[in-house]
Amino acid sequence: MSRKMILRVPKFQEPKRMEKSEAQRLWLLLKDAIVEVQHMNASTLSFEELYRSSYSLVIAKRGDILYTGLEEVNNHHTKNLLDKIAQAVDERFLIELNSQWQQYKLQQIMIHDILMYLDRMYVKEPQLKVFDLGMFKWKQNVLIHSQINDRLVRMLLGLIHMERNGEVIDGALMKSLIQMYVDVSLKEKETYKQEFEERFLLATSHFYKSESNLFITNNSCGAYLKKVEIRLIEEEARIKQYLDESTGPKLIKACEDELIANHMQTMIEMETGCRTMIQNDRFNELKLMYRLFQRVENGLVHLKNEFAGYVRNEGHKIVNQPENLKDPNALITSLIEIRNRFEKTLSQSFANNRDFINSVNTAFESFLNENDKLSESLALFIDKKLRGGFKDSNDQEIDVIMNKVILLFRFLSDKDVFKKFYEHYLAKRLLSGRSFSEDLERTMISKFKQECGNQFTSKMEGMFTDMRLSKDALDGFKNYLQTSVEMGKLPKIDMSVRVLTQGFWPTFPPHSCTLPPLLSQYCDLFTKYYCHAHTGRRIIWQTNIGTAEVTFRLPKKTHVLALSTYQMLIMLLFNDAEKLSLKQMAAGTSISFMDIQRSVKPLYSGKYKVLKRTPAVEKSKELSENDIFELNLNLKCKLHRIKFAATSQTDSEPERQHTRQRVDEDRKIEIDAAIVRIMKSRKALIHNDLIVECTKQLSSRFVPQTSMIKKRIENLIEREYLERFPDDRRRYRYLA
Amino acid sequence: TENYSNTEKLSEDLKNLLTSRNEENFSDFEVICVLNETQKTTIKCHKSILSVRSDYFKSLFRSKMKEYQENRIILEDVSPTIFEIVLEYFYTGKIKITLENAIDILLFSSKYLIEDLVQLSSQFVSKN
Repeated sequence: MSRKMILRVPKFQEPKRMEKSEAQRLWLLLKDAIVEVQHMNASTLSFEELYRSSYSLVIAKRGDILYTGLEEVNNHHTKNLLDKIAQAVDERFLIELNSQWQQYKLQQIMIHDILMYLDRMYVKEPQLKVFDLGMFKWKQNVLIHSQINDRLVRMLLGLIHMERNGEVIDGALMKSLIQMYVDVSLKEKETYKQEFEERFLLATSHFYKSESNLFITNNSCGAYLKKVEIRLIEEEARIKQYLDESTGPKLIKACEDELIANHMQTMIEMETGCRTMIQNDRFNELKLMYRLFQRVENGLVHLKNEFAGYVRNEGHKIVNQPENLKDPNALITSLIEIRNRFEKTLSQSFANNRDFINSVNTAFESFLNENDKLSESLALFIDKKLRGGFKDSNDQEIDVIMNKVILLFRFLSDKDVFKKFYEHYLAKRLLSGRSFSEDLERTMISKFKQECGNQFTSKMEGMFTDMRLSKDALDGFKNYLQTSVEMGKLPKIDMSVRVLTQGFWPTFPPHSCTLPPLLSQYCDLFTKYYCHAHTGRRIIWQTNIGTAEVTFRLPKKTHVLALSTYQMLIMLLFNDAEKLSLKQMAAGTSISFMDIQRSVKPLYSGKYKVLKRTPAVEKSKELSENDIFELNLNLKCKLHRIKFAATSQTDSEPERQHTRQRVDEDRKIEIDAAIVRIMKSRKALIHNDLIVECTKQLSSRFVPQTSMIKKRIENLIEREYLERFPDDRRRYRYLA
Repeated sequence: TENYSNTEKLSEDLKNLLTSRNEENFSDFEVICVLNETQKTTIKCHKSILSVRSDYFKSLFRSKMKEYQENRIILEDVSPTIFEIVLEYFYTGKIKITLENAIDILLFSSKYLIEDLVQLSSQFVSKN
């Protein structure tokens, strides 16, 4: 049923034969039309007729007549236009050029439309497309012609210059004329770049070079920065208004170079510059400077270095100020203050830039470790706070201060020295009952723990445990005394004992003294009781840190004196003597002469004088062995209980040295442990590598001196933990 | 968000616009197909649709020449049947190519640079 149909394809697209005369006729028809278009008389032409003519020529393989003809017509037309435009004078020139150009562009679109078939089916690379051909002819015969190009660029740049000087210009005209350079560029905007952009950028650099030089010498840095910001905003607007967007980054770069990069050093150094701004906390100006410097290469490095330098300098001043060296509290308070101040600068002006923060921290590290005072000062600062300095602060304020302490602590390179001092003062607080709040003590310690781990605070925590256990032991001792037989024979005194685990507590410098018999007996009783309850333990009495209350009977009045144990011993001597020389005091108590000196001083030179020096030589403070003292029976004091400082709050120099010595002892052990740890895992190592590795491992606690590490290595070789390679003396081997 | 599309309905509605174009349908342009002296067919249609679907018509309207002024165009040597088929394709995106019309569609769309249609019809031709 189904009859298969066969599709008959005629000889499709086979060029129809066309007489030369017919081709010529069609071309002339088109040529006339193109000329009409060029004279803006297109409305009576038939589009379809023209389209069909170009179509017919192309399929008859006569596209060449059309294409070359078009080229000629365009050539001719643009040459005519050139004369017309070049004749225009002054401002008319730009207007004439622009209006001709706008018309020409429309005409070229129309010509392209009519010749669409030619454009799509005939034109092959490297021939230009119909529209591009039109653009090329305009460029060749009009735009880059010597009568136009230079004149145009000069006028455009002149207008831009005027606008930069505050005059109003025709932005739309500018846009159209500048866009013309882009439109006639065949690829990658080459004409625009070559003929316009390059000269524009040069003029820009030139303009801002002279403007910035003049402005910065006659204005403050702050005013200059504001000016720069405004200029940059204006140039950004200029890009949007009439430049090609591809010029944007180049223009901004040129402005930044002239306005910012070239004046960075000046802006930092000038009298109203960066330094003054930092000094006077001009946060807004610094913020602007930061924003602008950020735009140029290495800009922030300059600013950062300047800021860090200032921080280092300020810190250096603080840590070396004589008043601060005497007063740890003032020192730490000032450090916290500048830290707060710089943190404010960092957040308000420098966007909390990590690099800036790091360099400020590095500066802190460097000046905080400039002298070795800081560890102790910081410990003393906290000591004062925890002795009651926090009394008037709320929890939040306390937390802020503690965090600042931790922050400063973090910068210390010798954290072990700090730790020793902290333990030392903590011990003193606990033993003298001067700690303001156990909660706050523990909060502070937990912060150190968070920062440095358990090892750092284990001893401190041990001290608290001891305090608690001591209380239990003392209760037990009191019960024991009530049941004890020996007790009946002894006069009653109220004795309080703290049992300190050796190792948790700082070892106080060894001192000895002779206790009066009654006290000795009590001590023996306690020892007996305690060692019975805790077999295997040994008690060493540490009398030099104790306190005592003594009744002081004067002819008319009785006082209670709160004294150190040593002071008590000295005062007790006066029960049996009227006058005593220091030498005699030392002999009677077995206390070292130095401790005698320190103990006696508050007794005769304080507000309430229970001793007087005979003969009275108030002025001379130095005490000598032969100075003689007697009781001051004329003591006038309304208080019943008189408290005497045992020693000054800060430690004496020998005590401090003692603390340092103990730090050194501990360091030896730490270094030994580090070396052995490293060698155990590496087996063999060159000297320098070992030093580096060792320093690295210990850096969180302290910075070991190379000479000290060397000594420890020598020591470990002697103790046969390590040996040198016989063939290479610089290498060590671990001996298992 | 969810994107919905209903191109079927769109195509149908546009076809209505085409089939009802002799009634009140806002047509603004006439195409007169002249096959020979005696055969002249006037087809009403819409400039907006033509210009968006065909570069030829876009250029035609853009250049504001005679056809634009008179709102009509005379297409010589164009069969109204073929033009109607192409027109339907312009409006609906659908076309039925048959053995009878394939060659004419191909010729027409080549001449007027309707590239997608050139492709469709030449595929059909080379298959058959």
